Amino acid sequence: MTVAPEDVDLSTVDLSDRDWWARPPQERHAALDRLRAERPFAFFAEPDLPGIPAGPGYHAVTRYADLETISSQPGLFCSGRGAVSMQDVPAELHEFYGSLISMDDPRHAKIRRIVSKTFTPRMLERTLDSVRAVVDDVLARARVTAEAHGGVLDVVPDLAAPIPLRVICDMMGVPEEDRSRVLACSNIVLSGGDPDLIEDDDPLTAFLTAGMEMAALMERLAAERLADPREDLTTALVTTEVDGERLTSQEIASFFILLLVAGNETTRNAISQGLLALSEWPEERARWAADPSLDRTAVEEVVRWVSPVTWMRRTATRDGEVGGHRFTAGEKFLLFYNAANRDPAVFADPQRFDVGRDPNPHVGFGSRGPHFCLGAHLARRELQVTFRALFDQLPDLEVTGPPDRLRSSFVNGLKHLPARLTGVR
Amino acid sequence: MRVAVERERCVGSGQCELLAPDVFEVDDDGAVRLLQDDPADDGAVRDAVQQCPTGALALLDGD
Repeated sequence: MTVAPEDVDLSTVDLSDRDWWARPPQERHAALDRLRAERPFAFFAEPDLPGIPAGPGYHAVTRYADLETISSQPGLFCSGRGAVSMQDVPAELHEFYGSLISMDDPRHAKIRRIVSKTFTPRMLERTLDSVRAVVDDVLARARVTAEAHGGVLDVVPDLAAPIPLRVICDMMGVPEEDRSRVLACSNIVLSGGDPDLIEDDDPLTAFLTAGMEMAALMERLAAERLADPREDLTTALVTTEVDGERLTSQEIASFFILLLVAGNETTRNAISQGLLALSEWPEERARWAADPSLDRTAVEEVVRWVSPVTWMRRTATRDGEVGGHRFTAGEKFLLFYNAANRDPAVFADPQRFDVGRDPNPHVGFGSRGPHFCLGAHLARRELQVTFRALFDQLPDLEVTGPPDRLRSSFVNGLKHLPARLTGVR
Repeated sequence: MRVAVERERCVGSGQCELLAPDVFEVDDDGAVRLLQDDPADDGAVRDAVQQCPTGALALLDGD
């Protein structure tokens, strides 16, 4: 199905409406193309959030160049008033859930540097074997599941979800028995209020309860590692000093939540929707599967194509002008990474999925500025290992049905993706 | 070629280390340091400088 930008009725497009985000990607991208071309700072009202007064609304930034300009000036466009919610939520709440993401320097830089060393390419080289072991095990289990069900499996719970969850839990040292709760809680925190993922009637209560549960787990783990240090990230978090200070237990808990939710859902959705893209572009799948030297560019293209995090927010700290748009202090900007990643001013033939695309200066890990994705190298590693293993170990994997999309403006996610192993009879 | 490093701007994202691992390293303080004073101009170093998310790297005049 093709939807041309001129077919879109912009009056029906509300980027604050989570139901709109569950619509087919072609329709969403056609609308984003129109906004980028005609209304690059389109204004939208904020959605209602129970218990939080509605704010003034926000500008949707859809041009690559404007997004980069804003992202690279953190002093003028701050994160500290909330980067992961459209609404102004109380500072304690957005710091608790957003940790580094909703902080500005110098505090941001101080905390980030405690952990940045752990996520560098050199350090992650050491985790390569453990990522491979996780992926091999998950794929073997998926085959067993499929064989028990006539070849049928669901890509999201059987393949995409367990890989990043197990990798990040291994890094943090989360015990096996706690992992299913970690998955359930991170689902709720990043659900964007999708009713399917929240059994509770009240999404805000469910959201807070899930956060508290993860914080309690982290407090327990932190206490254990202080008494009995190990070779894991949790030990580094509780023992490292910056300028003679250690992180507070609340900072550690928030960072743990950030790693769990950011490290899980994003990679999960890149795996599931990468597989979906490969099923829609079979010649690209054949090309990549046959040529491991394409792993690097193909993974970058998956991240560009999927844009697992749809937006982050910045708030103007003073009056100014960007891309011809004059703004005043306090105005909010949502940086739509998915729109920038298909900007024809930067990407040739942007609606084409091209596993050899090079250069590919996508902003799927964020644009310029201090908030560039901490986990980018880990994600790349997980995705390269996962897709190569899928080609080698499940070559008969075939997507069989349309995906069930998450109803969230913030996370571009799938809840289900039906598939089968055609070799299983 | 000579590269200037502004460690205060660095957040240790490691993009440079990915592109030119023989030249850049994120050290134990979580910020980049140079492994060579005068690295060869092989394109990767220029890419690393150009792609640094926080603008913490620069080519010195004449390079």
